[in-house]
Amino acid sequence: MNRYFMYLMLLNMMASAIIFVPKILIDARFHGAVMSLIIAVPIGTGFSFLLSKALERFPNKGLPEILDLVAPKWLKYTVLIMLPVFWYVAGAMTLVGFIDILERFINPEAPKWMILMIYLVVLCITIELPTLRVMYLLEIILFMNSPFIFFMIYKAFTDDYMSWDSILEACTHVFEWPSLTTIATASFVFCGYTNLIIFNRLFKEKLKFWNFAAVILLGVFNLFTSYFIPIGINGIDGSHAFLYPWIATADSLRLVYSPIERAIFLFLMLYISITLMSVVVHWHVGYELISGMNEKKSTLKKWIIVGIFMAGTIPAILFLDTIALFKIAGVFMVVRLGAEVFVIALTMYLTRRKPA
Amino acid sequence: MSATMMETIKMNLINRLQEAEDVVYKNLHTKEKYLEVLYIKTISDESVFYDKLIKPFFEIETPAQFLTYLQSNPQIKTFESESQTLDELLHGVAILFYQENIFLFDNKVDHNKQVLDTTVETTVQGPQSGFSESLSVNLGLIRQRYPSAELSVESMSVGTISKTKVMVLHDRKFADPDTLSRIKQFLSSIDVQMFQTGEQLLDIIKNSNRALLPVMLVTERPDRVAVNLATGKIIVLVHGSPFAVILPTVMKDFMSSMEDIYETYWTVNCLKVLRYLGFVVSIVLPGLYVAVTSYNPELFRVQLALSIAGSRAGVPYPSFFEVLFMLIMMEMLTEASIRLPKAIGPTATTVGGLILGQAATEAGLVSNIMIIIVSAVAISNFVIPINSFSITIRVMKYFVLVTSTFFGLAGCVLGFLMIIAYLVRLDSFGEPFLTLIQSKP
Repeated sequence: MNRYFMYLMLLNMMASAIIFVPKILIDARFHGAVMSLIIAVPIGTGFSFLLSKALERFPNKGLPEILDLVAPKWLKYTVLIMLPVFWYVAGAMTLVGFIDILERFINPEAPKWMILMIYLVVLCITIELPTLRVMYLLEIILFMNSPFIFFMIYKAFTDDYMSWDSILEACTHVFEWPSLTTIATASFVFCGYTNLIIFNRLFKEKLKFWNFAAVILLGVFNLFTSYFIPIGINGIDGSHAFLYPWIATADSLRLVYSPIERAIFLFLMLYISITLMSVVVHWHVGYELISGMNEKKSTLKKWIIVGIFMAGTIPAILFLDTIALFKIAGVFMVVRLGAEVFVIALTMYLTRRKPA
Repeated sequence: MSATMMETIKMNLINRLQEAEDVVYKNLHTKEKYLEVLYIKTISDESVFYDKLIKPFFEIETPAQFLTYLQSNPQIKTFESESQTLDELLHGVAILFYQENIFLFDNKVDHNKQVLDTTVETTVQGPQSGFSESLSVNLGLIRQRYPSAELSVESMSVGTISKTKVMVLHDRKFADPDTLSRIKQFLSSIDVQMFQTGEQLLDIIKNSNRALLPVMLVTERPDRVAVNLATGKIIVLVHGSPFAVILPTVMKDFMSSMEDIYETYWTVNCLKVLRYLGFVVSIVLPGLYVAVTSYNPELFRVQLALSIAGSRAGVPYPSFFEVLFMLIMMEMLTEASIRLPKAIGPTATTVGGLILGQAATEAGLVSNIMIIIVSAVAISNFVIPINSFSITIRVMKYFVLVTSTFFGLAGCVLGFLMIIAYLVRLDSFGEPFLTLIQSKP
């Protein structure tokens, strides 16, 4: 089993499970959310299978190198200008969304841009690390955090106030026709594989069957957790009332024997690093795509790209409120699904052009 | 034994030894006789050699008589096999080639008399002696523990004025040639006037000559050097210093004590967990205290939050000032107790630790909880086995303290992550400093 592939998938599942996905899905709980969960699993695993199969033909190469090898110049530049936008926006949305959460639940007095500043400082030093080092950092952070996160999920499942009847009731709405937005949102959980277009540089061996089996299992578990637990704890009607259903859920958990009684603090402290890592991975991909446009590596160029990345988030923090953020997120999910299809089609096309 | 066979054995022995300065190959002549000797002088006693071999060689006239002398001397054994001879040679035995015989002349020297006891990296069990201040004795100590023919010793001089002799040791079988050439290039590029000890390299390695973290391990234990040689590390010995430098070094090495191989498996693993816990606690705890008391007192359960707040009730200034005040007092206490003579040391600790701590609380300058936190930070800092790394951690906790003072709980977590990211970013001669698992997938 290739552990780096699993890290990318797991990270994306964890990071996406709390900010946008539960809210968008729970809003549509009577309008096909359950069905879109069911549809998302084959879409997500299928896409990840297709992309990794296509990239297998180019071991140890990222997309910029592959484009250099087989694509005409105009195609290379169009792709490398267009694609980073998606990764940048994905990272920025996670960042802005999570800072909104932090401001609401941890630091209500401090202005948002202060929290943004400290995040940006960390991002500054991490996104331009070599790809392998980003992976090392990801490995360490997952190692430190995921045991606690799984413990929290376990606590949520065994909570006294968890109402399985509400969950069953939510399940009865399974035969509703889902909208494209909910399908795209649910499949966002699986989109960690798209980072392969850069992280393929680290992959020598082929992905095994077990990788995809584990992805299906984790994905189903993760979707179930992020959609049904808020419903189980807050009730099928009540869960709708929260801006961030998962955070409200974590806030209703109580760790009876721990010095930290309210689970939300533990939960948010763990998620500070998980979200950070998710942004780092997305922005690292964006950064590498842009800097892959030409061979020359200079410090000035590096800092210009990093500076643009940083600067883009400041207006987003200042002018976007939560409602606007969710509207943008809904649109982005659909556009992103289209971009995924494009990336897969592009890589498959490039594989066919590869001289045997 | 035929002359040609002896000749091939001799050549084999010389060829299998890595070229080293302490390997002596000498011919002795008189009118009638002719003797060849091969030995490693740093681990042989040359005065014994002179009394028992060279004197008789010139006093006894006929070749046959000298042969009888050699055969009857209890210190001299006869040749058994080539590999055994090589082993003995590496343990300090001189090899004699006389007429058509090969003799092993035992004049091993015991360096332990001259070496110092370990004071910095002490262990409860295992070897207790460290290096001496003589380069050749140190090399001998390493050779005694690492009798391998693959051990290669190269020497060079560093420092424009001091011209200090430096030896670079590695095992040719395990060491990575890229790393080796990088290290040699680094050593030859050093531009410094006085080079006194290996610790100076810690700063010189950064181009700016300003480093926070050590990326090489300075040790006083020959057993650590021997163990590291076998894992392919490269050793730098400096003349006049009882410390050896081990390169390249990653975080795992800083977190391991030599005792790890002298204890049982589960004990060692628990101790390692304890050390990493100490690492995290001593970096995060002061910052966490500020973040919790000043930003998010609701983090803890009510009883605990109240008792912290109650203990802080008499303290007239914000928590970050309280933490800074106590931490600086603690640093001063630590520094003072290092410099003080052994006889006054305990007094300083009593006055500083007990009386000052007690009085500060009663005077309402700091809270009780603060005293506990400062002591916990100090103690968990000393859990780190390597001194240079534990001093680095002492500095790093102030960084987390600053980020949590300004940004609260998020600043505390992100400050810690920044330190982790910095560790991941570092490398020691091409080897990543911090990884979870050292191998690749």
